[in-house]
Amino acid sequence: MRRAAVLLAGCLSAAVAFGTGAEVDPKADLEAFQSFFKNKFPSLPWEEYANGAYALDPAWRANWELIEEFPPYEVAIAKGEEMWDTPFANGKTYADCFGEPGVQHHYPRWDREQGQVVTLALAINQCREAHGEDPLKYKKGAIVDLLAYMAYESRGNVIDVKVPEDDPGALEAYKQGRDFYYTRRGQLNFACAHCHMGMAGRKLRTESMSPALGQTTGWPVYRSKWGAIGTLHRRYSGCNKQVRAKPFKAQGEEYRNLEYFHTFLSNGLPLNGPAARK
Amino acid sequence: MKHRVWMAWIGAGLAAGLAQAADQARFDAAYAEAVAAQEKAASVGGEWRDIGKFLKQAQQLAKEGDFEAAVKLAQRAEHQGHAGYEQMTSQQGKVGPEPFLQ
Repeated sequence: MRRAAVLLAGCLSAAVAFGTGAEVDPKADLEAFQSFFKNKFPSLPWEEYANGAYALDPAWRANWELIEEFPPYEVAIAKGEEMWDTPFANGKTYADCFGEPGVQHHYPRWDREQGQVVTLALAINQCREAHGEDPLKYKKGAIVDLLAYMAYESRGNVIDVKVPEDDPGALEAYKQGRDFYYTRRGQLNFACAHCHMGMAGRKLRTESMSPALGQTTGWPVYRSKWGAIGTLHRRYSGCNKQVRAKPFKAQGEEYRNLEYFHTFLSNGLPLNGPAARK
Repeated sequence: MKHRVWMAWIGAGLAAGLAQAADQARFDAAYAEAVAAQEKAASVGGEWRDIGKFLKQAQQLAKEGDFEAAVKLAQRAEHQGHAGYEQMTSQQGKVGPEPFLQ
């Protein structure tokens, strides 16, 4: 009997530790995840993780630094500022919802009342709808301009995503994001972690793989491949397509939960968006 | 003599029509199987990227009368649907960071 109880307790603690049951331990995840990268790249300064693959590939970095001399996202920041300052039809502005524009470090956040993860993009559209405006499209266009301005105003703020451990809904959302990140998908049978943990800093064909740590600091991003500035969820969609999986809807529950987990893992890093990437 | 030629012509036409109907039915069945597999994969978030594209292409090929290729493509879509479903369900409750933290 006692032996059975010990066995059961062992199984339960293993389930908690490995996150394979309903239980997860975000704090332990965070420590293990950040330690993994610190051990993998022991000489890399902490803040450099916010620069993605450019922190690890000198040739790419030189090119990126030249691009940053004339940032391709500047126009988006200016347009976003104009949006921020322009009142809605009812006379209210975004400031009535957010207070100030530099709030990106608080997102994504678990909203107890709504019982869901609220990203900054979702919060923008909720603000618009609350004031009688139509919601914006999520992957590109006007919402990206506003996100670019808010990201710019948030630069230097340290990511501080909270997963309230007393809220089963928050833990479940975190777990779903975590499961998504480590699940193989698509015809190529890759998980996000295959490229951005195991392969981080190495080449996949001609591309240098960025470390998962710091990947959420610089959004929205001007991607040379897109020839435009776009959102993190647009990138998620692209990653899924690259492994030949059908992407999910931008700002749908799957990607919001993924962003929650993904951003939480970069807690402590300074925001540096908008950014330019290859 | 003339009568026999007409009969042969009508007979050939009927046979071709029946063959086409059989091909269409074979395609419809394969297509329905593929859509069911696609939906099953999507129900667990495991649909692969190209299934929808294959199904559209298969429909176009069937419209053009190339039933052989259309059925093959529908079967490929069906196979991917089953594989995507299997991929997701086989991992449920087993994924985590451990293999990646080594």
